[in-house]
Amino acid sequence: MRVCVQILRQFCFNSATKRIVEIPDLQWEKSQLNRNVACRFFFIWFPDLTELKLPVSDPNPSLCVCVLLTLQWDTDPSVLQLQSDSELGRKMQRLGATKITQVDFLPREVVLYCKETQTPITGTEEEDDEEIIDLEPALESDQQEEVDNKETREGYPGRELTEEEKQQILKSEEFLSFFDCSIRVMERALAEQSDIFFDYSGRDLEDKDGELQGGSSLSLSRLFYDEHWSKHRVITCLDWSPQYPELLVASYNNNEDAPHEPDGVALVWNMKFKKNTPEYVFHCQSPVVAVGFARFHPNLVVGGTYSGQIVLWDNRSHRRTPVQRTPLSAAAHTHPVYCVNVVGTQNANNLITVSTDGRMCSWTQPISTPWDFMELVYNKSKPVAVTGMAFPTGDVNNYVVGSEEGTVYTASRHGSKAGICEMFEGHQGPVTGLSCHNAVGPVDFSHLFVTSSFDWTVKLWSTKHNKPLYSFEDNADYIYDVMWSPVHPALFAAVDGMGRLDLWNLNSDTEVPTASVTVEGASALNRVRWASGGKEVAVGDSEGRLWIYDAGELAVPHSEDWARFARTLMEIKANRGDAEEEGLVELTP
Amino acid sequence: MCAEVEETLKRIQTHKGVIGTIVVNAEGIPIRTTLDNSTTVQYAGLLHQLTMKARSTVRDIDPQNDLTFLRIRSKKHEIMVAPDKEYMLIVIQNPSE
Repeated sequence: MRVCVQILRQFCFNSATKRIVEIPDLQWEKSQLNRNVACRFFFIWFPDLTELKLPVSDPNPSLCVCVLLTLQWDTDPSVLQLQSDSELGRKMQRLGATKITQVDFLPREVVLYCKETQTPITGTEEEDDEEIIDLEPALESDQQEEVDNKETREGYPGRELTEEEKQQILKSEEFLSFFDCSIRVMERALAEQSDIFFDYSGRDLEDKDGELQGGSSLSLSRLFYDEHWSKHRVITCLDWSPQYPELLVASYNNNEDAPHEPDGVALVWNMKFKKNTPEYVFHCQSPVVAVGFARFHPNLVVGGTYSGQIVLWDNRSHRRTPVQRTPLSAAAHTHPVYCVNVVGTQNANNLITVSTDGRMCSWTQPISTPWDFMELVYNKSKPVAVTGMAFPTGDVNNYVVGSEEGTVYTASRHGSKAGICEMFEGHQGPVTGLSCHNAVGPVDFSHLFVTSSFDWTVKLWSTKHNKPLYSFEDNADYIYDVMWSPVHPALFAAVDGMGRLDLWNLNSDTEVPTASVTVEGASALNRVRWASGGKEVAVGDSEGRLWIYDAGELAVPHSEDWARFARTLMEIKANRGDAEEEGLVELTP
Repeated sequence: MCAEVEETLKRIQTHKGVIGTIVVNAEGIPIRTTLDNSTTVQYAGLLHQLTMKARSTVRDIDPQNDLTFLRIRSKKHEIMVAPDKEYMLIVIQNPSE
């Protein structure tokens, strides 16, 4: 260690005068200072210091030197550093990322109890009881109540919610959305009544009804009816969901007994679970006469109304009213829209709607104004009052329409012959239902279609002939709807005003239906729709009830059914040719 | 909108075998109930604790998981709980009816 010494003041002891005298400017000679300078008060060791010399002028050797020095310990730089590190300063830290640990804190378990949670129902019961009791027991009961209250107060201390707070909560948005979701789940759970503890050993097996019967007849599978929304309303249209085969939508007319309820209602029902309430409830201001699932938009339901408005409901929003509506303008429809259809492919699809004034509009999303519309007129003179429209399988351009006069027309959307092409006469009353053959198989029957009408008949047509191929006349009332089976080539269903659902299998018999069933209550059946699998058929009646029938074995096609149907058709044509004198007019497709 | 809620709760209550329905908030305080006071308070408190325990169990096993439905089957009843972040719906049913 090196020591720097800076001499501040110098003193010396003059032994003659016995005094300490300050020496102003002493010149020290290096050689004179001893290495060890012993001082009275402190001992300084100067290992490296060169000698200091005392002035020679003073002869007295007993000189005591008092020196005031400052000492500067000039320590090794490295040593200094160390010291400063530990004692003095903070050096610059380098920053780096630390590992993140996530900690989940559970909510504090607060046990709270509420004192008064009586709903009005149970509250009134208590009041009644109190009135009956005499005075004396009344006093006792009062005392008991006090005791009870005390007990509850002691046992369950907690914050109460006032009635206003509860009402507030019940009206809040988040509560409503929670309630909407959880009530749906809860209803499904409540309805599933499977007894997992059933013991087969100790008792007789009860015969299971309904599910396994099927067989070769029509059996009732489900009935969908809602007290609030279906009562006194006629089912005007049905559609099965292309995406979820268990969902179907039914549209309802207005309820004359309840003028304050919305006029148009559409309910989405679920076949998969046993609960008997609709999955979704939609309504709008005008009676809904046509409804369908938008084929390439799985969350949307399209409705055509009596006022000519097209409405769109979305099941993603919690609203029951339409999310989109067309304006009531002359550019759109001003007459009831009985047909709504989504045609096209995933990438290029249009919503086609036709109203009873003969106007056909094409819409794209979002529906505000139609991008294309056409007036369906026959022979450029009279507009066709369209009651039904159907597209043959795979065709997006040509379609068939039925009218109120009883005539059926084919038409095209685009091309040189856009508009009405041919006329098919045969029915003597308005055409109520129209269905193009859509079972796909080895033989192509897509030129066939069936129509039903108020004239008590169902007629089979081919687009190649302008007279019906065959007329089915087994009914004794207006026939309201008809539909080909989507899987069986020779099977179609028809419903009439007496509550009868008929299944005609043309391969077995063309004179009488193969299976027939009348619904309970014999109310007029307005609509019939096969499920996409072809196993179930849904019928809607005029009382707002939706019946689902299981067609069982009847609806299952066999591979030879196509060939047999081709032969049946030939027979029909041959019989026809014999029966009528005038020849069939062959139409160019 | 509040009337819809009441109506739906009433409808659930009239379902086959349902004994009671309780709606509870996040702290375990009953908001709506069809049972009497003491029973409601008891059910709400106990089931709230049980649901919290069940939820923490599920999340301990897998922190990304969460409880969606709880069903307790006993000799006499079946208690179904539909929990949520903020509220809980409890339905007590007698399944053999």
